[in-house]
Amino acid sequence: MIFTTVDFLARARVDRETLEIWIEEEWLVPSETTPERAFTEADLARAQLIRDLMDDLGVNAEGVGVVLNLVDQVHGLRNVLAEVLTSARERR
Amino acid sequence: MRDPYEVLGVARAATPDDVRKAYRRLAKKLHPDLNPGDKQAEARFKDVTAANDLLSDPDKRQKFDSGEIDASGAERPRQQYYKDFASGGAGAGSPYENSSGFADFGDGEDLFAELFRRQAGQTRRTRGADLHYRLAISFLDAVNGATQRLTLPDGGSLDVTIPAGIQEGQTLRLRDKGAPARGEGEPGDALVAISINPHRFFVREGDDIHIELPITLSEAVLGARVKTPTPTGAVMLTVPKGSNTGAILRLKGKGVARRGGHGDELVKLRVMLPSEPNAELEAFLSTWSTASSDDPRKDMVS
Repeated sequence: MIFTTVDFLARARVDRETLEIWIEEEWLVPSETTPERAFTEADLARAQLIRDLMDDLGVNAEGVGVVLNLVDQVHGLRNVLAEVLTSARERR
Repeated sequence: MRDPYEVLGVARAATPDDVRKAYRRLAKKLHPDLNPGDKQAEARFKDVTAANDLLSDPDKRQKFDSGEIDASGAERPRQQYYKDFASGGAGAGSPYENSSGFADFGDGEDLFAELFRRQAGQTRRTRGADLHYRLAISFLDAVNGATQRLTLPDGGSLDVTIPAGIQEGQTLRLRDKGAPARGEGEPGDALVAISINPHRFFVREGDDIHIELPITLSEAVLGARVKTPTPTGAVMLTVPKGSNTGAILRLKGKGVARRGGHGDELVKLRVMLPSEPNAELEAFLSTWSTASSDDPRKDMVS
């Protein structure tokens, strides 16, 4: 499912200014389609994670960037590990 | 559901601040997105959130303490977590995927290294968007080629090199001049659609250029060398004796550049009488004896 900016703001419960900052920081990377940005469900879940980090876990703005970077690396590692395991099993 | 005080590990007399701190400590450890592979953590996190929802709301906490409500039903339905989108292939091609954690494993020569390289290559490679522009250029720039500066909506500019012989509606792709990629991908391209303004007297057909050239009566009758415009400047054209209106003369290689050469310029002559009545010409023609024997309309008259 793809959301427009207005849709996304309502669902993620953030204001426009905050969203711009998140995009500027590359915490969120919606596709820059014309005439409007398009947000995915992954973007929405990620916005929810950012809110959890800031509102519930007390992570400050600097920390969010660090956390997201590490989370992204973890997923990169998980995906490549899954790939390696699949390939190893096929070879066996 | 278990006793919320027990879940958060706080005393019954805990202050709201104690509750908040206890929740934070547990949430940091148990948040599903910080434990993407741990199903147990996810289940415990659910309990912890529910307990926190109950105890952080003074009204609900008071009702629970007095036994009016129990801990069941307090669970908050939660939307999906980010991990559900980022793992198991769902994250492939996502702008968030990051290979920094393993890219160095791809340095080796074995099959696994190849696998790591391939995975690393997929990540963060989302290109920036292509940006579309229009540029109107003059007829002569289209024929001869030129460099035009395109002013962008954001105030920047782009130098567009127009190859000689470009055609109406053709689009030039300027590599990497589009929107920058977010993440580490390549920037997009700028796509410039070209429109060509018409010329006052040149008309293009394919690789040839057509022009209608007015000549005088005496040039037509006696022949002459006349100055003729071409896209690269004027040349002298030999008009043969007795050239009529509609005669087409070819200037080889004066047309539009094409693979392995140029098209031609085709000059269509048009005989023009003097713009003012001319007594000398009238006097001469009235004594011109052969005029009456020539009938240019003989094919039309039945």
